[in-house]
Amino acid sequence: MRFFVPRRSVGVLRMTEGNKGMAEQKQRQRWGTKIGIILAVAGSAVGLGNFLRFPVQAAQNGGGAFMIPYFIAFLLLGIPLMWIEWAVGRYGGLFGHGTAPGMFHRLSQNRYVKYFGVIGIFGPLVIFIYYTYIESWLLGYAFFALMGKLSQLEGAQAMASFLSGYQGLVQNEFFSSIAPAYIFFLITFALNVFILWRGIKGGIEKLCKIAMPLLFVFAIAIAVRVLTLGVPNLARPSWNILNGLGFLWNPDFSALSQAKVWLAAAGQVFFTLSVGIGVILTYASYLKRGDDVALSGLTAASTNEFAEVILGGSIVIPVAFAFFGPIGIEVVANSGAFNLGFVTMPFIFGQIPLGVVFAFLWFSLLFLAGLTSSVSLAQPAIAFMEDEFSIDRKKAALIFGVIAFILCQPAIFFLGHGVVDELDFWGGTFALVLFATIETILFTWVFGIDKAWEEIHHGAELHLPRIYKYIIKYVTPLFLLIVLFAWFFQDGFKVILMDGVSPENVPFVLGTRIMLLAMFVALGIFVKMAWARKRKLGLLKSKGENK
Amino acid sequence: MTLAGWIFLGVSWSVILGLLIFCFVRVFEEPEEEL
Repeated sequence: MRFFVPRRSVGVLRMTEGNKGMAEQKQRQRWGTKIGIILAVAGSAVGLGNFLRFPVQAAQNGGGAFMIPYFIAFLLLGIPLMWIEWAVGRYGGLFGHGTAPGMFHRLSQNRYVKYFGVIGIFGPLVIFIYYTYIESWLLGYAFFALMGKLSQLEGAQAMASFLSGYQGLVQNEFFSSIAPAYIFFLITFALNVFILWRGIKGGIEKLCKIAMPLLFVFAIAIAVRVLTLGVPNLARPSWNILNGLGFLWNPDFSALSQAKVWLAAAGQVFFTLSVGIGVILTYASYLKRGDDVALSGLTAASTNEFAEVILGGSIVIPVAFAFFGPIGIEVVANSGAFNLGFVTMPFIFGQIPLGVVFAFLWFSLLFLAGLTSSVSLAQPAIAFMEDEFSIDRKKAALIFGVIAFILCQPAIFFLGHGVVDELDFWGGTFALVLFATIETILFTWVFGIDKAWEEIHHGAELHLPRIYKYIIKYVTPLFLLIVLFAWFFQDGFKVILMDGVSPENVPFVLGTRIMLLAMFVALGIFVKMAWARKRKLGLLKSKGENK
Repeated sequence: MTLAGWIFLGVSWSVILGLLIFCFVRVFEEPEEEL
């Protein structure tokens, strides 16, 4: 049972139920080292999107010119949000809150604001229930690559067939059932729960200290291999790596006049940094009052950018151009990130010397990227149980495991019916942008920019340029509101109205929405119960907290 | 790959590597301590 209060308040903690209250007064978990939390936040941010989504977005939206809106969004949206989340998280942690409901409550003291914080637990939980399954494909593919199974497949068509057989979408010569995929899912899921069961320092931090350097070694090895490939097919000398880099980097300045390019850049920066999910809030809540957030947040963001722009930009697009040429690459880029990762890349590795090794490294690096992200997605729900209900860490991890395991099943068995797309829309897109907008407005306008600025600088090892005070107050919220509305009118309406959903999939999509609604309502009720419980135990001190 | 492409690649890589090195040097300047 855990309950944490600010150090200065420990002595004045009011307990109405004697021993029960004393039992609540335990220290929360802590990070072991500063590099540990930096790697954990970077690990949460570095995912499949860095290696698959970014290069495609850049190539489709102006090439090198895409980097202009990308860097602008990074400076005005990404970095400010990083600092906001680190600061809000550390602030909430001082009062024993590891998740958004408690943190939002502390920022505003309004009795209803804590319910907006539900989005910060709901979003990562929803992403977790489909992301873990996708992560398990990577483990399965790393295994198949090592066994030489992928290198035996001839042609991209065979690769695509292998993937759909593995996913259980069809029965074919490769797979007669979903059983192999399910076994890899069970292993991946158990690994996630085991790491979470070990806790922050002994589980997540230890994982990230091993996985992140390993991930970078694998990615650098693959990037070096790709960049030194030269001309894979001597009959087509123009299909080479340099022209592949050109496909990604040659600027098309006319793209800058299109609003969709700016929106794509803002979206990419937003989604790549793991902001707006609620994960960074939880991770930062395990910091102490005097720990730095300014430099650590910037370091985690720059680590993610290194993985995305330098490594992610040097692998998929250049190598696909060298093998498929200027016309083929358009088809490949438009075929989607999964196709790129699971079909195009293993096919290419099958064509190069030591392809088995590089295919194994490719899927292992993506698996590690996925694992460091998925454990972060689970932590808010676990922290909520620990902090607000005083449930023991190990017990909380096991409860989470049981509930999440049940919730994962529709994503596995109804994959071909649009369930994952629906989960991704509500949990992985809508919730993120909405949550980021709410937390930014709360922190800068309700909590107040002067207090917010002071909070970011408390214990800081980096003094932020003063202009950021105004960027954080005016530009970032405005930027978020523009992204929220533009995205909503561009894509949101279509998804909500089920535009493009085939009639036979409508019941599955509706069923998913009912499940999500039930999850959201249940989390709201848990928040209400948590506050009622704390009120009963006398753990809410001030008048505002008793609301 | 055009000259403009090289410029965009070079500037982007330099900005990110510069930021990364700056941050990690500052992080490791302070002796690693138990948080």
